[in-house]
Amino acid sequence: MRQGDIPRRPGRTTERIRMRTFLVWMSIALAAAAALLVAGCGGTAGKKGGTLTVLSQGDVDSLDPGYQYYQYDYEALSQPAQRTLYGWKPNLRKPSPDFAASMPKLSNGGKTITIKLKSGVRFSPPVNRVATAADVKYAMERDFLPQVANSYAPVYYGDIVGVKAFTDGKAKGISGIQAPNPTTLVIKTTKPVGVLTTANALTLPGTAPVPKEYAQKFDKGKTSTYGQHVVFTGPYMIPNDRSGKITGWTPSKRLELVRNPNWDRKTDYRPAYLERIAFLAGNDLSLATRRILSGNGQISGDFAAPPVADFKLALEHYPSQVSFTPGDSYRSITMNTTVKPFDNVNVRKAVAAVIDRNALVATRGGSRIGPVATHYIPPFLPGFQEAGGSKSPYDYMSQPNGNLALAKRYMRKAGYASGRYNGPSLLMVGDDSAPAKNTGEAVQSQLQQLGFKLNYQQVPHEVANSKFCGVPKQKVAICPNWAWGKDFYDSQSMIDPTFNGKNIVPSNNSNLSELNDPKLNAAMDRAERIPDPAGRAKAWGAIDKAVTGLAVQVPWIWDNDVNLRSKNVKAVTNLFNGTWDVAFTSIK
Amino acid sequence: MIRYIVRRLLWMVVLLFLVSAITFLIFYALPSADPAVLRAGRQPNTQLIAHIRHQLGLDRPWYVQYWHYIKRLVLHFDFGYSYQNLISVRRQIFERLPATISLTLGAAVLWIVVGMAVGTISAVYRGRLVDRVAMTGALVGISAPVYLLGLVGLYFFANDTGKIHVFPGSGSYTGLTVNPVKWFTSLLLPWIVLATTQAAIYARLLRANLIDTLSEDYIRTARAKGLSEPRVVIVHGVRSAITPVVTAAGLDVGILLGGAILTETVFNIPGVGHLAYESIKNSDLPMIQGTVLLGAFFIILLNLVVDVLYAFIDPRVRYA
Repeated sequence: MRQGDIPRRPGRTTERIRMRTFLVWMSIALAAAAALLVAGCGGTAGKKGGTLTVLSQGDVDSLDPGYQYYQYDYEALSQPAQRTLYGWKPNLRKPSPDFAASMPKLSNGGKTITIKLKSGVRFSPPVNRVATAADVKYAMERDFLPQVANSYAPVYYGDIVGVKAFTDGKAKGISGIQAPNPTTLVIKTTKPVGVLTTANALTLPGTAPVPKEYAQKFDKGKTSTYGQHVVFTGPYMIPNDRSGKITGWTPSKRLELVRNPNWDRKTDYRPAYLERIAFLAGNDLSLATRRILSGNGQISGDFAAPPVADFKLALEHYPSQVSFTPGDSYRSITMNTTVKPFDNVNVRKAVAAVIDRNALVATRGGSRIGPVATHYIPPFLPGFQEAGGSKSPYDYMSQPNGNLALAKRYMRKAGYASGRYNGPSLLMVGDDSAPAKNTGEAVQSQLQQLGFKLNYQQVPHEVANSKFCGVPKQKVAICPNWAWGKDFYDSQSMIDPTFNGKNIVPSNNSNLSELNDPKLNAAMDRAERIPDPAGRAKAWGAIDKAVTGLAVQVPWIWDNDVNLRSKNVKAVTNLFNGTWDVAFTSIK
Repeated sequence: MIRYIVRRLLWMVVLLFLVSAITFLIFYALPSADPAVLRAGRQPNTQLIAHIRHQLGLDRPWYVQYWHYIKRLVLHFDFGYSYQNLISVRRQIFERLPATISLTLGAAVLWIVVGMAVGTISAVYRGRLVDRVAMTGALVGISAPVYLLGLVGLYFFANDTGKIHVFPGSGSYTGLTVNPVKWFTSLLLPWIVLATTQAAIYARLLRANLIDTLSEDYIRTARAKGLSEPRVVIVHGVRSAITPVVTAAGLDVGILLGGAILTETVFNIPGVGHLAYESIKNSDLPMIQGTVLLGAFFIILLNLVVDVLYAFIDPRVRYA
């Protein structure tokens, strides 16, 4: 990925920045309103037919809905080709019934969740039959099979009654997931689980029905091969042969979607205008950007933003073909509280104060790429206002250009009389490719103002997380390229994995600061059990504020996703996923 | 000759073992991403990571893993399964090999023909305007990296992103059996780009050798015998001067058959080079191992072919 710096304009005042932030928010709001107008739900209808080409860098992670988790999996497969219990209409930030017929009904103090299902949703060939509650039960049970390797089931479904007996091999099924009749699913939990009662975690791809009699043979053995024989319930499917073996996917090259002959329009909110969709992997970002903008029938796939030079070109010459969607994620600099001197809260506050967050935003392409963050829960997620909104109550997070004098005051409070760090050098591990590399280098130079000597190692992104920053025993002091996004519109998924002490694990650790505050842990455990959305927003917002008060990370941007389309494509953005929704997109 | 070839083939097996062992050691010695963690996703518990580690065999010592790998390879020609998508490495490599072969052989024909023609003309007209122009062009060709030439070519001449719409753009590769015409047109620009640098090198190499050869006594004798100048230059001169060109061609074709990483990446040709690049990015050891072994196999094989060819090209070479 190429990256060029956009120089900061000299002499910008706080008022100008506020004005610019206001304008950015206004433009996002207008874009969202425009998306609302054109979206399939209540918007103008698209033209039926045609082929759409989606250009991407990488490929989907898996064809198996039990494994899918990431943004591109949703865009290419989960949204257009499967019917999860609940889904995300393009213009809404709350779950809508998809395979479910209505929102969940709660009883037993929120511990019993009853979901009525639609009848008439059918599996694609070769299964062909109507999907039932038993198929969802099997889908959710197989999410716990090690050979399926689903990573979120223990986090969000772990409190369902009977999960332990099932995972320990003492029961053949999960007793807390019941299918009393083909159109009723009952989920019983050991305690109220907010992400289930609000249906948020029931939008995950692992709730898409899976026919047991067909899939079970593929789920045996060390690794499930169901993905290579997967069947679909959505408007589209990947071509397969008569036995069900997938033929329309060449890994890292091409994924093809065609119409599912068993899909019934009457049961679905998706218009599914397109006849065929081709997802082409392995594209150079710069070339793909230009191909989409100057070509026909193409949209961007998995790249959140084009390279800076091409981004500028797009804004100058093709502004109507560029769409911005709040990414519902943040980027931050993490400090490890188990490594000196970051065990001292005043040193951490000094680091937060000295960081010029505007300069860091510039390394990714400037303010259109996202507003400066002041805490963790991003705008549009419940709890954002409760956490402080766009303003911060903390002086060290209030000045986006950084404040060296304030930082030195905090250093003196921490016991460094000169206001500068004079200890041994610290290990910082960051990405070795732009734009993250540029961000890391900017952080290094900003920290040097406080006297920090850094042993800065630049490694590939996957190595940085899986071998260094996500491995506590490596004792990495600073990770400048950390990012985290939501799983759904509930702030538990933004805060709990990254700040709850129970989530500190020996590898793939997402609590990089190793924050383990008993009071905060207890507050998070309480918040997880709150069933009503307003109460959850208040609780998670307060926790966000408390975590920001400990300055264990320096959040610096709430990302926007940038999506591109060819002129003849009437593309619709899905607010939840931050990408185009191909099930609502059409050719003009 | 047969004994020589058999001996070389046996050495090839030894070398491939060495290459595979070194690749394994490098993967374990250098910091690379943990494949189990990458496969496990964003919030896995430790049991899931442990299960995936066990499933991929990563919980065993590296030499045990290597032994199992070699056993599967020798007994079943099985390269294992990709850590990334759990699909057979052999299947993925063989699916992509036709694209790499198409790219390499087409470009090789182009650069050998152009390189030899330019080199011969430059040598014959040494010091004249045509020589100076050709050698300046060759210098420019050598200095331009393939990825730069590729991007410039696409920005100017691709029919989607270019200023003048001449060639199909990036990602347009079509298989030979699917549509031969599209196959040919989609590869024209990649062939030209890949061949440009190589042709320039070959032209300079042949020119230097041919100048030396044309001053040899036997060339003077040939001319004195009244042979025509084209016959002197091509039959007697080029045949002797071509030996280092054949050596270079063997190596280059071998390397590129193992994957023309830059060209395949810029033009999004789904070949082995592109696969190697992706597997390195994803710390996908079985796939890295498969692509490295394929590359080594082609290099060693093409070296053997070149050595055998010497006997036919150069009358001074005989194998006992």
